This record gives sequence, structure tokens and C-alpha cells, in this order.
Amino acid sequence: MKKKVLLMSPAMFILFAFAIVPLFIMLYYSFMSDGAVAKFTLDNYINFFSKGFYLKLTWKTIKMSIVVTLICIVIAYPMAYIMAKVINKGKNLLLLLIIIPFWTSQLVRAYSWLVFLRDGGVLAQFLNKIGLITTTDMGILFTSKAAIIALVHIFFPYMVITIYMSLEKLDNSIIDASKSLGAKPIETFRRVILPLSSPGIITGAILVFVPCLGSFVEPRILGGVNGSVIGTVIEDQFFEIYGWNFGAAIAFILLAMVLLSMGGMSLLLNTEKTRSKSPAS
Amino acid sequence: MSIRKTIKSIIAAILVLSMMLALTACGGNNQNSNQGNNDSEDAKTRLVVVNWKDYGSDDQKVIEYFEQQYNCEIIHEYMASEEELLTKLRTGGVGKLDVVLPNASILPVAIQEGLLEEVDTSKLENYQYIFDKFMTLPENKKDDKIYAVPWVWGSTAIAYNSELVDEEIDSIHVLWDEKYKGMIAFRDDFNDAVMTAAIALGQDPSNPSDLDAIKQKLIEQKPLNRTYWKTGDEWSKLFANKQIAVGMMWSGQAASMKQAGEPIEYVVPKEGAIGWVDYWGIVKDAPNKELAYKFVDYMISKEFQEQWVRAGGPAPVNSEAVNALDEKTIEEMNLGEESLNKLYFIAYHGEDVKKQWNELWQEVKAQ
Repeated sequence: MKKKVLLMSPAMFILFAFAIVPLFIMLYYSFMSDGAVAKFTLDNYINFFSKGFYLKLTWKTIKMSIVVTLICIVIAYPMAYIMAKVINKGKNLLLLLIIIPFWTSQLVRAYSWLVFLRDGGVLAQFLNKIGLITTTDMGILFTSKAAIIALVHIFFPYMVITIYMSLEKLDNSIIDASKSLGAKPIETFRRVILPLSSPGIITGAILVFVPCLGSFVEPRILGGVNGSVIGTVIEDQFFEIYGWNFGAAIAFILLAMVLLSMGGMSLLLNTEKTRSKSPAS
Repeated sequence: MSIRKTIKSIIAAILVLSMMLALTACGGNNQNSNQGNNDSEDAKTRLVVVNWKDYGSDDQKVIEYFEQQYNCEIIHEYMASEEELLTKLRTGGVGKLDVVLPNASILPVAIQEGLLEEVDTSKLENYQYIFDKFMTLPENKKDDKIYAVPWVWGSTAIAYNSELVDEEIDSIHVLWDEKYKGMIAFRDDFNDAVMTAAIALGQDPSNPSDLDAIKQKLIEQKPLNRTYWKTGDEWSKLFANKQIAVGMMWSGQAASMKQAGEPIEYVVPKEGAIGWVDYWGIVKDAPNKELAYKFVDYMISKEFQEQWVRAGGPAPVNSEAVNALDEKTIEEMNLGEESLNKLYFIAYHGEDVKKQWNELWQEVKAQ
């Protein structure tokens, strides 16, 4: 037993040295004042909450992340369901297709959307050819819609995989039992399949929502003049003015929000678990 | 079960691949730094130059010429940002590096901290040919002494597509012109934004008096844009796809796009535009001070400057080098004294001002 625990130590060391320690260094920065002699200060945090537009941007970012998460669930659930319960062959191929986009960099994918979505671009010309739109102008690129599309594309595989995992664990005989007891397909889905796969949905939602809050590449490249989100503000602090202290403070405010939302979701997850267990006992 | 195995093996493969990539990347870096520290040839004097990569001084022909002329060896160390150069100078660069290339954003700090030698301009034969305008800029001076030599300059002004715009543009107010709504590309950069709005409002761009008015002016401009651009590549694509007709642009990129046959016109508007300069500085206690002077003198010579601008380099400070070009090139690339004198050169700003300007720009973008 002890030996097995020791096997964890390389991973724990890497996690500690390259994630936990830097996190505390950034926490330290977030309480430092700018200038030659750095002193302890709360100014960075006060500045964030005293300027209305930072809060406005944060709220905008949260709304955007919620939209992305919901779209991901809507797209991913049917796909995961079909992969887990309907088809037998080709699952590996589908999984591979979902994972392939991970092999290209996020930046490259964002730029691909730039080519694909622009007025007179690939998608516009295609829609024009098949007669869905009359001009080759779509007006999607450089709006927040474009950023949301790209974010959904980047994050929905997490959702598919987590939902697929929970559906795969779901015993087919339970579904059969529900059917044989006279439940209509919709009722089976609502009362049996959906509750039992909700841990997958919630895990997927966390995996999509959290990185979405901190995203800055897609909104900046595709979002146009309204592409500002809290992630781009942090990026500009670090890269434009070397404002590490304020940048770190915003990052920690964001982290606090993430932890709160995660806490909320895991609470949800636990109640789901107890609820799904209680009828069985 | 087999699918979970497949996923596991795919994840493992991704991990292995990314590890390999990381390792090869590290290997590449090591090789580079080894080149810099190669100690095999001790016979020749070594001049250590810090510059951007592919930025004039590290051209193979230039290096060979200078090395033969003065029987020495030039070693380039590259910087990725001005901040990095400042850090290099502060942490062991003094007494080790010879020549460095700071700009206005760090130059006053470097001079103040005593990281640069005072420049004796009588040792530079070509100093007299530098345009007068550069003698008036304050960033390379302290107590009337000169600490860095201007090398090349450029501007951030207005460029437009002559196929889409059928008038001669000569005013910065084109960026606020409703006629081009949706076809304008403003730059996503707090310094460029604040300075451009200040020029349009007739305020002093280096020291604007009314930041609220600037904020309003920028908010007013915002809905007219197709998008804000940040990298030169973004601009090129927008321009090539005819998604934009007019916008802020750098002189250097506009010139090379024009050379490549794009229908681009670049103007320094009558109200003025943003200018920048790169300076050569000789590092405090440089090991080869005399050779450093020779190097800087060669860098500002007509010979080098003319050759580089013809090859697509930025605007020369040497008036002789500019005069050697034909009228049309000078006018098209805005290299002449007339354009130069319209520019407001980016001034040095302390952290507080930078923070304030950046916050103003964030607020405009968040609207």
C-alpha cells in the first residue's frame, strides 16, 4: 500500500512545484503595490471593485461562459447518447474524431474560424451557393457570436467525453426495465437516463465553464470591438504594461469565482448522488 | 472497457508527444545559447550586440563586412522585449555587453540608472547627417549630455485601400468618418489609441490634458470599426480580403505591402501621427568601447542605411541615405523630412501614466 502511494510522488511533486507554488507567488503579487518599493496593499482588489466596468466585464464573461456551456450540453448529449447506446461499431473512430482537434493549437483553431466565418469566407460562400443567403455577407465574424462558436468548438469534446463515460456506465437492463414497466421513451429519458447521467453533465459543465471564464484568445481574435472579456484584461495587464500586481489580483478574483461555482456544482453533484442512491436502498 | 483503454492510450500518446515537443524545444534553446557563449576563438576582439532578431545589424553580409573591416567578431544576443533588455542591463549586462538597442520606453530609465555610457558624438563621423528632428527629442539626453544615438524610425499613421477609397485621405478624422462605418480598423493598443485620439482632438499626444475627452472620442470611434487589430498579420488578412478600407497602420508594414503589389496608400495626416525611434546605446564599461563607436558609426552611415531601406528596412535617420533615394520612393514611404516633422514621437511614460492609459483603453473596449 505504502509503495503504491509513493508512486504518486512524481506527479505530486510536479503539481506542487509548478502549480501550487506559482499560485502562491501570484497571490503574493496580488497584494503588492506597484513602484520601486513594493508594499503590502489591498489597492489592487479595491481598484477592481471600485471601477464599474471591471465588474461589468466579469458579468459579461460569466454570461458568455454560461451560454457556451449550455450550447455544449445541447450538442454533446445526443452525440454521447448515440455513441454509448445506439451504435456498436465506429465508436473508436468517433472518439478519435472528437479528440483530433486537440492536436492543433488553440490559436490555430481560432484563426481557422477567422477564415471560415468571415464575410465572403468559406461558410458564407457555401450558404450562398445552396441558396440560404443571398449575399456573401453574414456579419457573424467580429461579434460575440463568433467568439461563442469558437469556444463551443474548443470545449465541447470535454462535454461529450464526460457524458459518454457516465452513459457508458449506465446499465442497459435498467433502461429495459423502465420500458418493460410501461414507461414511454420520453419518460424513460427524463426519469431514468437523465438523472443517472447527470454527474457526467455536471463534470462536463465544470470542464467547459471554468476555462471559458479565463479564455482570451478567441474573444480577442474573433470578437471584434466587443471582444473584451475579463481574460483579455488580464492578458493586457501582463503583456502590455507589466502590471503583474493588478493582473494577479484580477486572476485571483476570477479564481475565487471559479471555486465558488465549482463548490456550488459539486453540492449539486452530491445531492444528485444521494437522490439517485436513495430509491435503490 | 476497450474504449476506455483506447482513450487511455490516446491520452498517453498525446502526453508523450507533448513531452517530446517540449524536450526538442528545450534542445533548440540550448543550442542557441551555446552559440552565443562559444569560447573557441579568442584571437579576435568580440563585440556583443543586443538587438531584435532579423533587424538590420544581424544580416549576414553586414556582419561579414564589419568583421573584415575591423578584424573582429560580432556576437548577437537577441531580446524579445524592451523590458527584457532592461533586465539584461540591470543583471550583469554592464561590463559585458557592448552595444544595445533601447527605445523611448526604457531609455530614460537606463540612463537614470547609469547603465549606458555618455556618447561622445565627435567620435561618430556620421552623426552630423542625422535629421535635426531627432536632436530635439528628450529621451536620449540627460543634463544636455547624449546617451544614445538614433538609428531608424517609423510612424503609425493612416493606410487605406486605394481600390475601395476614391478620395485622397489627408486627415486623421477619417477614422471618425461615418462614410467608412464597418470598414475601419483601429489598433488595439492603449498607447496608439490615446495618442491618436489626442492628435485628433488637438491635444498634446505626449502629455494629453483632457483624458475624459479622449475616452469619449475613442468610444465615439468604436462602432465605426470592423474590428480592432493587434498583430501586423491580422491587418494584412483584413486588408487582403477587403474587409477593411482604412485604418491605423505602421509605415514599415505599409511599405512592404506596397512593394508586394497591394493597393495600399500610406499617409501621415496633416494633424500629425505617432512616431517611434530605435536608439543604439553603448553599455556602461563596455569591454570594447572604441569598437562599439565604430559599430554605431557604421550603423548610422549612409552606406548601411541606404542599403537597408532599399531592402525593405525602416526609415533611416541619416539624411544622406534618404537623399540618395528617388523622390517617389521618399514620398510613398514617407521617409522625408516633411513627414518626419509632422510626427509626435512616443515619449517615455512612468508606470502610473501607463496604468492610467491602459485602464482608459480597457474601459473604452468594455463599453
